[in-house]
Amino acid sequence: MTSLSTIQKHLIGALIMLGAMTIVPAFVTQRYFLGEIIVFMIWASVAVQWNVLMGHAGVFSLGQMLIFAVGAYSAAMSMTYLDISPWMALPLSAVVAAAAAFIIGLACLRLGPAYVALLTFAISYMVYVLIITDTACYTTVAGGCQRFFGGTTGFSRLEDLGFRQMLRDNWVVGNYFTVLVVFTISLVASILIIHGRLGLAFRALSDSPVYAAARGLNRTRSQLIAFVVTAFFTGLTGAVYAAHFRSAGPSLFDFSTLLFILAMVIVGGLRSTWGPVFGAAMMMILVEIAKGLGDVRNTIIGIVLVLFVVLLPKGIAGMTSRLFHRLQPKRIGVRTEDPATDRT
Amino acid sequence: MTYKTTNTSRRGFLKKASAGGAGSIALLAGMNQSAVAQSTDPIVIGAPLPMTGGAAADGIEFRRGLEMAVEEINGLGGILGRPLELVVEDTESKGDDVIGSAGRRLVDRSNASVLIAGYNLGSGAALPGVAADASVVYMHADTLVAHNELIRSDPETYYGSFQYDPAEIYYGVGYLKFMRDLIDSGQFTPANNKIAVITGPIAYSINIANAIRESASEYGFEVSLFESVQAPTSEWGPTMAKLREDPPSMIAITHFFPQDQAQFMLQFMNDPIDSLVYMQYGASLAAFRDIAGAASEGVLYATLIGALQDDIGQKFSTDYVARFGDNSSPNSGGQTYSALHAYAIAAALAGGAGAPYEEEQNRKVADRLRTMIYRSPMGSMRIDPETQSAYCYPAETDDPSLGMPHIFSQIKSQTETGPIISPAPYNVATFDLPSWFKS
Repeated sequence: MTSLSTIQKHLIGALIMLGAMTIVPAFVTQRYFLGEIIVFMIWASVAVQWNVLMGHAGVFSLGQMLIFAVGAYSAAMSMTYLDISPWMALPLSAVVAAAAAFIIGLACLRLGPAYVALLTFAISYMVYVLIITDTACYTTVAGGCQRFFGGTTGFSRLEDLGFRQMLRDNWVVGNYFTVLVVFTISLVASILIIHGRLGLAFRALSDSPVYAAARGLNRTRSQLIAFVVTAFFTGLTGAVYAAHFRSAGPSLFDFSTLLFILAMVIVGGLRSTWGPVFGAAMMMILVEIAKGLGDVRNTIIGIVLVLFVVLLPKGIAGMTSRLFHRLQPKRIGVRTEDPATDRT
Repeated sequence: MTYKTTNTSRRGFLKKASAGGAGSIALLAGMNQSAVAQSTDPIVIGAPLPMTGGAAADGIEFRRGLEMAVEEINGLGGILGRPLELVVEDTESKGDDVIGSAGRRLVDRSNASVLIAGYNLGSGAALPGVAADASVVYMHADTLVAHNELIRSDPETYYGSFQYDPAEIYYGVGYLKFMRDLIDSGQFTPANNKIAVITGPIAYSINIANAIRESASEYGFEVSLFESVQAPTSEWGPTMAKLREDPPSMIAITHFFPQDQAQFMLQFMNDPIDSLVYMQYGASLAAFRDIAGAASEGVLYATLIGALQDDIGQKFSTDYVARFGDNSSPNSGGQTYSALHAYAIAAALAGGAGAPYEEEQNRKVADRLRTMIYRSPMGSMRIDPETQSAYCYPAETDDPSLGMPHIFSQIKSQTETGPIISPAPYNVATFDLPSWFKS
């Protein structure tokens, strides 16, 4: 019998998980919980792409929420100013985010990892300040001043995806499946990248940059491709965020949001395949529990993050992988931990 | 927009108003006495409030106001025999996604019958959407004209959303009118007709600043400086340098964070110029006086929803400070306190509070809110049925019993809330030229 390749195993895993998620609305009828699962899928998609970029491509970018915001703002602005439907705005925004990443990538990716982190963070903060300090009215919307980039208020009351008219009280189910489709695309793309030719190039560059270069691999070019491709899917997720919440505002740039997504990647396991999904799920559950505990919420999240960094540096995925290998019968002369399969 | 003048007998009006306020409470108590308890299940009051982040100082006061109102209403027998239970969710001073999620959690998990907030940051569209989806009543003091337009655009969907104070559009011209009156009455003689307008980045501040800039010439003023600052900000050096280079007679700071305003005054008082300083909302809070100390004295401020200093307002403020301490702010807490009292009366009149998704009953409550007049410690809460915002006195009505007053105060002592100096009949003090004026 022909054994399945790594990529096929991951794709089957994705299929099973996404299949399970399609039946969730049949059991979860409370709108709040469906809303929280939608938020989980959005953040999981962002974390998955960030993991590809940072964990596999080695681009230590802190501009992930900037790219996400570019997607959300592109969708909001195209709906507000160009009067296009949200369905048209989704792919358009993904392309805009990819184009923005290309320009930012050209400026940043020739630098060392620490400088990439600093520069991407600086660009993100600069964009945020430019947005919130803009006070000139571009137009008047709903009797109030509408700044070109929305100012501190951002954009709101955007056209919805159309499910309110179609499904009435169950509109959130329509939004759920829309976000699920975007999450699916993002997750499958990440699997194809990590376990495909590009992922192989990243591993070669990570294992021995000099040898990889001697074999004709261009680090900057590979990283730029990763930056643009992950930006496309991050931007698409940002656009679906704007379409679901019918708003986009400067709170997307909040440092706390950036740290929250980073925590998902770290808790799940950087350089893994499924880690960010587990991490997103765990952080969302943790936040949900902590909501009932009042002011100690952020402290609890911080403690969990520190515990993972100290005790489980490879995150949930690393722990699962170790457990899996321990449970497997050991055979003499057979290596049980293959670097490629370690990327659970 | 025009402001109307009044000729009201102050003593007579305030006496009747006090009777009206007591009457509102008696009304609820009376309805509770005659009611047969529908059930003993508590009515959940959902409060999506900014308990952390930049607006947390107000968020804490909003919660206190609700706590006080819940205690009082439960003491009267709840709403037709059903006690109230308060559940607060933190909106983290963040945007629409977090605000909307907090609202949905209150409705779907806590089974909140009503959402009551002070203000939240964000666009102001998130919670009306949540309320419309769940068919619950939502009361807020976002003080945004965007609310009015939202209701006008779709009154059927947003039937349950109420802004229980007037929109911010009244601040700009209200300030200009106030300054013109001060000058024309001889209480203030400016060296020139220049106004420096300093705004923050939040839409509320910008809309007010823009309104001042657009209408200044109609009132005989010239905007000599229009400056935008970040929020929060503590370094006012560059702004101060511009002010000292071309001193205006009036400075209007529409950026409303109390800590930032306090820092402005501390730095201004290092080398003051002959300018009358007006500050938006933040100076009405105790936090401003705490930080600015003696530098707060002489500052003018205004609010469209602040505790009045008549019998009703004073009693509320005294009780509030006694309950929560000297550093508490009745001006903020009074907002949610008033809203919950108004809701309780409306729900009792409608035959009880509706549960989430009970559209028929919640519509009845909304109808009562839309048509009743509630005399709160902040003034008369009367809702404009077209915009579902409170009427503003004196901008929209010349009858002080039919609108929430746009009050101007001046801080005389760092240890006390500034006495109200306008409008009549709520004024309890007169304007004094600040001590930093050299001429």
